Amino acid sequence: MSYASRQAELVAALVAGAAVPEGFDDRLVGAARQALLRKRAGDVARHWPLLAAGLGPDWGGTFAEWAARRPTGGSLRDGWDLARSLAARGPLPVPAARELALREVRWRYDGNRPPRPRRLPAVRRVGRAYAVQVAGRVWLLGADRG
Amino acid sequence: MAERTEPRPPAEVPGYGVGIGWRPEISGFVADLPGIRFVEVVAETLTAEGPVPAPLAELRGRGVAVVPHGVRLSLGGADPVEPERVAHLARVAEALDAPLVSEHIAFVRAGGLEAGHLLPIPRTREAVDAVVANVGRTRAALGVPIALEPIAALFDWPDDELDEAQFLTEILERSEALLLLDVANVFANARNRGGDPLDLLDRLPLERIAYVHVAGGAEHGGLYHDTHTDPVPPAVLDLLGELSARHRPPSVLLERDGHYPPAAALRAELDAIATAAGHPSIT
Amino acid sequence: MMVIAAADDTWGISGPAFLAFYFAAVCVLLLAAVAHRAYLFAGRSRRPEELGPQQVAYLNGGERLALYTSLGGLRGAGAVTVSPDRTLAVSGTLPEDGTPLDRAVYGAAGNGVRPGALASEPSVAAALTRLREGLERARLVPTAAHRRQARYLPLLMFALDGLGLLRLAAGLANDKPVVGLIFLIILNSVLAVVLFAVVPRHTRAARAAIRTLRNRNPHLSPAVNPAYQTYGPVAAAMGVALFGGAVLWAFDPAFAEEAEVPTGMVYGSVAAGGSGGGSSGGGCGAGSSCGGGGGGCGGGGCGGGCGG
Repeated sequence: MSYASRQAELVAALVAGAAVPEGFDDRLVGAARQALLRKRAGDVARHWPLLAAGLGPDWGGTFAEWAARRPTGGSLRDGWDLARSLAARGPLPVPAARELALREVRWRYDGNRPPRPRRLPAVRRVGRAYAVQVAGRVWLLGADRG
Repeated sequence: MAERTEPRPPAEVPGYGVGIGWRPEISGFVADLPGIRFVEVVAETLTAEGPVPAPLAELRGRGVAVVPHGVRLSLGGADPVEPERVAHLARVAEALDAPLVSEHIAFVRAGGLEAGHLLPIPRTREAVDAVVANVGRTRAALGVPIALEPIAALFDWPDDELDEAQFLTEILERSEALLLLDVANVFANARNRGGDPLDLLDRLPLERIAYVHVAGGAEHGGLYHDTHTDPVPPAVLDLLGELSARHRPPSVLLERDGHYPPAAALRAELDAIATAAGHPSIT
Repeated sequence: MMVIAAADDTWGISGPAFLAFYFAAVCVLLLAAVAHRAYLFAGRSRRPEELGPQQVAYLNGGERLALYTSLGGLRGAGAVTVSPDRTLAVSGTLPEDGTPLDRAVYGAAGNGVRPGALASEPSVAAALTRLREGLERARLVPTAAHRRQARYLPLLMFALDGLGLLRLAAGLANDKPVVGLIFLIILNSVLAVVLFAVVPRHTRAARAAIRTLRNRNPHLSPAVNPAYQTYGPVAAAMGVALFGGAVLWAFDPAFAEEAEVPTGMVYGSVAAGGSGGGSSGGGCGAGSSCGGGGGGCGGGGCGGGCGG
């Protein structure tokens, strides 16, 4: 097997849930996989602090479970995909919901290609408030201002 | 075995003493360090087209050297390094007027998947050839020297032919690159995979060291993880001292990527590094 | 109705002449009102270093933000905390360098007040009043009297409206063309309403001070995800004051949640170097890795970490 395909096998085992390639130590590769997920969770939390804070101590576990078989698309997209999937299952904590709404209103993201800035104004309702975007500037109206 | 030409002596690299990895999260702290003379910035966080971020421009204005540190070139990959990434690194180095750049002996993507992290390559001749070729492609676009950093890895490949010292020495000499020695990685590898870290220090071409990394880590599940988000363990500082006794590194950099502690704790760590490496304090 | 035989012009003034007079009157009053406001709300400039975090917070976001700045500072110093039933509680001693507002909030915490009800506590309300009065004396915040005076000229503009409406009625009765007059009346009304209703709460000097402080403290902007633990509680308080409640969420999300601090909008973004336009909630960390470029590094350093 070529060097390139052996590297591909290893990466797949680490980030896509594929089997550990022959000859590698299962336990150690498993430990590396977990370490990668922890690091990834930390990176995503930096991009989505309110989402991570909203999940509190469950953040690491929730993220690892969701991300174990999903190779990264970058921290911004990882958090976005996770936030959307959690929002589909049930309401997010208010700050996390607002964080997501403010992003949705500012960027257009279809889940497949990298997010791009929206050129047209957009409004999104979140709870009793409205996230509004005009010409790149974002406001949260109707919420208590801090 | 093919004849090997005498390796050329490494390029001259200035010494800057103790430095710290520049991160936007602690940019105010870095700016306030009175004695700082060099920082390192992750190359992929800068755009090649736009202006240099204001805090870095200010540091440059004060004469602080800024070294771009690549993390996504994947020089250890079986495939040739992507020209856009090399060009980006070169442009960033130019924009910062950097004295050198650094990258890793590792790969980060294969089979169309991003690992999102630095992964070890096998210690085989084939892998050495691949790295040397990629470093050659990169050097062709750079106007400054490149330093290569060996990484910490939890596991080995099954088909290793060389030991760590032979492997690294061969890569460095054939690619004519400098060495970015991460003593925390040396410590982690010895802890997790066995081996004598001092023996490694004795056998590495220390004269090729451009600068040294120091970072913190933590035990987890019976293994030591080089997290960059924990304090630097005393054992790593000891290893830095051992290194300095053999060959005083021209520059030493503290790498911290998250969970930043109060400023006093960071300053204490920088002072401890300065003491271990025989450099003046920068705090 | 009997058509009253009238002189050719309404009120003896020709249409165009009245329009010209009316238009001139609108312009004069508008300029006078604007100039008056500029004078009233100029304020006296202050060296920004003289302003403490709570004063800056008041200038930026009023009483609410000043309260959260105080609360955040007390929490950072370990002096107050939030009980499980979401009331405040004392958890340590009051810091020595506390402001009168800090002392009032600390006292209110001792009474187990809810964070949202802090402003109604008499001691806290009194401290906020003193804070405001201090800023009024320093001419950074317009007094109530100033804000009232800013409405006088718009009232005159409403009076001008009245005159215009009288003329309009008379002109209609005389079958005169009134389109131009209607247009001017509408214009004048709109201007009068805007000038009457929208009276600034800040002086220009205050806005300039805040701009200066923001530009001097770009490292505190949520856009760069500051390490508030590193910078310390005073810097974090200034961060809250300059950039709003979102900072408290980044600094201490557990407390912000328990204390029900509104996430609100990030107040302004730094002129240079900050990433993107002020999105709430901590921004995107390091510059270019936000928003695009699949498989990117995800900000701030991935060199060799994690040992895996």
